[in-house]
Amino acid sequence: MTRKHGWIGGLLAIPLLLAACSSNNGSNEAAGPNSGGSTSAASDGAGEPYELTMAYFTLGSVPKDQLLIQDELNKITKAKLNTTVKLLPISISTWQNQINLMLTSNEKLDLMPILGNTYANQVAKGQLVELDELLAKHGTGILEALGQDYASAAMINGKTYAVPSVRDLAQSYGFQIRKDLVDKYNLNLGQVKELEDLEPILKTIKDNEPNMIPLVNQAGGSPFSDTFSTRDSLGDDMGVLLNNGQDLKVVNWFETEEYAATLKLMREWYKAGYIGKDAVTNKESTSDQIKGGKGAGNLANMKPGYDVQESRQAGMPIVSVEMMPPVAKTSTVTNIMWGIAKNSDKPERALQFLNLMYTDKDIVNLLDWGIEGKHYVKVSDNVIDYPQGVTAGNVGYAGTGWLFGNQFLSYIFKGDDEQLWEKMKEFNTNAIKSKALGFTFDSTSVKTEFAAVSNVLSQYRLALECGALDPDKVLPEFIKKLKDAGIDKIIAEKQKQLDAWAAANGK
Amino acid sequence: MRHKQSNQLNSWLDCVLSGLRNDEERVANIMGSTAKRWKKFTPLFLLMLPGLAYLIVNNYLPMFGMIIAFKDINFSKGILGSDWVGLKNFEYLFKTSDAFIITRNTILYNASFIVVNTIGAIGLAILLNEIRQKFFQRFYQSVIILPHLISMVVVSYLVYALLSSETGLINKTILPWFGAEPIAWYSSKEYWPYILTVVNIWKGIGYLSVVYLASIISIDPEYYEAATLDGATKWQQIRTITIPLIMPVITMMTLLAIGRIFYSDFGLFYQVPMDSGILSETTNVIDTYVYRALMNLGDIGMSSAAGVYQSIVGFVLVLLSNYAVRKFSKENALF
Repeated sequence: MTRKHGWIGGLLAIPLLLAACSSNNGSNEAAGPNSGGSTSAASDGAGEPYELTMAYFTLGSVPKDQLLIQDELNKITKAKLNTTVKLLPISISTWQNQINLMLTSNEKLDLMPILGNTYANQVAKGQLVELDELLAKHGTGILEALGQDYASAAMINGKTYAVPSVRDLAQSYGFQIRKDLVDKYNLNLGQVKELEDLEPILKTIKDNEPNMIPLVNQAGGSPFSDTFSTRDSLGDDMGVLLNNGQDLKVVNWFETEEYAATLKLMREWYKAGYIGKDAVTNKESTSDQIKGGKGAGNLANMKPGYDVQESRQAGMPIVSVEMMPPVAKTSTVTNIMWGIAKNSDKPERALQFLNLMYTDKDIVNLLDWGIEGKHYVKVSDNVIDYPQGVTAGNVGYAGTGWLFGNQFLSYIFKGDDEQLWEKMKEFNTNAIKSKALGFTFDSTSVKTEFAAVSNVLSQYRLALECGALDPDKVLPEFIKKLKDAGIDKIIAEKQKQLDAWAAANGK
Repeated sequence: MRHKQSNQLNSWLDCVLSGLRNDEERVANIMGSTAKRWKKFTPLFLLMLPGLAYLIVNNYLPMFGMIIAFKDINFSKGILGSDWVGLKNFEYLFKTSDAFIITRNTILYNASFIVVNTIGAIGLAILLNEIRQKFFQRFYQSVIILPHLISMVVVSYLVYALLSSETGLINKTILPWFGAEPIAWYSSKEYWPYILTVVNIWKGIGYLSVVYLASIISIDPEYYEAATLDGATKWQQIRTITIPLIMPVITMMTLLAIGRIFYSDFGLFYQVPMDSGILSETTNVIDTYVYRALMNLGDIGMSSAAGVYQSIVGFVLVLLSNYAVRKFSKENALF
């Protein structure tokens, strides 16, 4: 009997213990911001204190010194704007789901990067704050950094809802691979121009490194679709412009011979083992796969200084070959933008902070490189290096440079071209420009078809593009499903909007 | 020993039931006195309160959200302020064969799960009951109920360990034994009805068979003794004693399952196929469809439409199955 009672007593004690723990936590948390708040009230901040929530995606895992960066950042923002910023990194593979959930459930969220393919949809649903007025008032730094052309590339119906980050605003496409493999097997990258040219390289790797996947894909992404492209996807691939948008005729990409031929090639590669047999269910980023020794290389969107950037990501030397010259399309500009969520309580404050991300060298470098002395040391005025004992493999923080506002304010890493940003500017200006640059499709009027086609795309596309299915059998089925879902109606609507846009902009 | 226990249980139940009956009579006698009635039943109402509150908050309040399915939700205008769009949100469901596929999958999967799991669980329960050594009986019980306690995410990776093309046991070890070609399981939709059924049995059968075992144990052993004396075989005993005597439990468990036929195990249909799009023809059920609609399209109007569709079809199905049950045995019907 007594034993039984003791047992029950123990059980009863558990919730009490839990309650005690949680109340402790509560008081700790409460004490933190309060003590911070009292110091800031004394300083000359702009208005009352506010905590911004800034969500963004990370390509690999969340860096371990994430919180240190946040604390350091808050010292700056507290002084300048009387604002603290809560950083909310989300893995890229779950980004779309998470951000949709946050937006629809009205969670606390102020600033977030916006990916070009969801932009129009988010605007149509009223999830983004209109920025024109705010930009004129608090965002002059952003407008200056971008220049008028690029700032207006993201306009929908003459209004701005997001601003592109300042980075490579065009894209070239190519293949990247571990340098040690190139040296070991004497691979000749120079000859590679077309996808077919990759075949001997992939074969060599498959034959000599049977446990390695020669061509890896992004988590939930196809090996080539976003990373080797001759089309202007016009944002969503439902109706595209061929030949990098050199003429304004919208066609169904999935019906083109080029698409069919590429699928066929992917099928051969899949069968030969050049693409992973588990590519369809892959949940790892390309750089993680290469880092882990599982993969050899991948197709990629490239830009000046790409090799060095990737070597740093993968923690080992990477070399690459450019297969297609740089092209600028709406999608390459609006690819990565920043917007303010409708959920935001203080959009002005969010924009003021965003403005700092485009103008304040300290903030940009903090987010890009981490803390001076801990994550990097200065070698010269604008060049940095890892501190002693720190390497790409064990550094506690590495940000995504092209994401956080104005990359041209970022320090140049030792080993990178010191003229990198000048070259990047040149890259942006010299790129082939799609004639539809600046056009964003508004899908509201074909919402039903858009949803139905999206479902068909998520059903077929990945498996086909990874080569896991035989295109001879499945591609016709895929095309038929697309037509049933109403892709032709979307294409017609897109053509109509594009013609109207072209007429209005004198193209 | 077992016999004694069950007798004790029965007499206890009798006592409670007769007590209730007496109460009813007394209630009838004192119907006039409201105050006394209140006094009598207040504790019962109080007991009911938390459950009722939960029901209202969890099951009735969200019904308000159904209007979202008929609106073009714009976050700047709010839910009530957004424009009405009639049935427009539902169009995409019927634009393709999606609505048909997810309805078919949901019903067929759940129906086959009910049949297969019930038969399997009863068989297993009878087998367990025949094991005389206590240690082994306990051991097997624990082993078969273990999968019930594993999270679906873990299950999905167990399945992946078997089916993966690069490292999976089946593709790397078992198929080569037979000289067969490896199969790309995650892009071949034709296998998934079987895979999902097997996974579901493996996971669900233990729990169900323990329920049946409990009712088999409570059968009076004298029946079996008498049958053995008359020279009945084991098979005859099972057919004529065990099955008929646990029939009420079987009916009840099956009815409960039929009532939930339109709710599918989300983890099973989403996690186990690794969210592979190409399998959706055989793995997409209404729950996963609604989830994907919200997550991929981010359109709460359209995903609510799918949710409302689920509720309506589910409601019709419950009515139908209840009707069927009434025909079969009236006292087992829900209403």
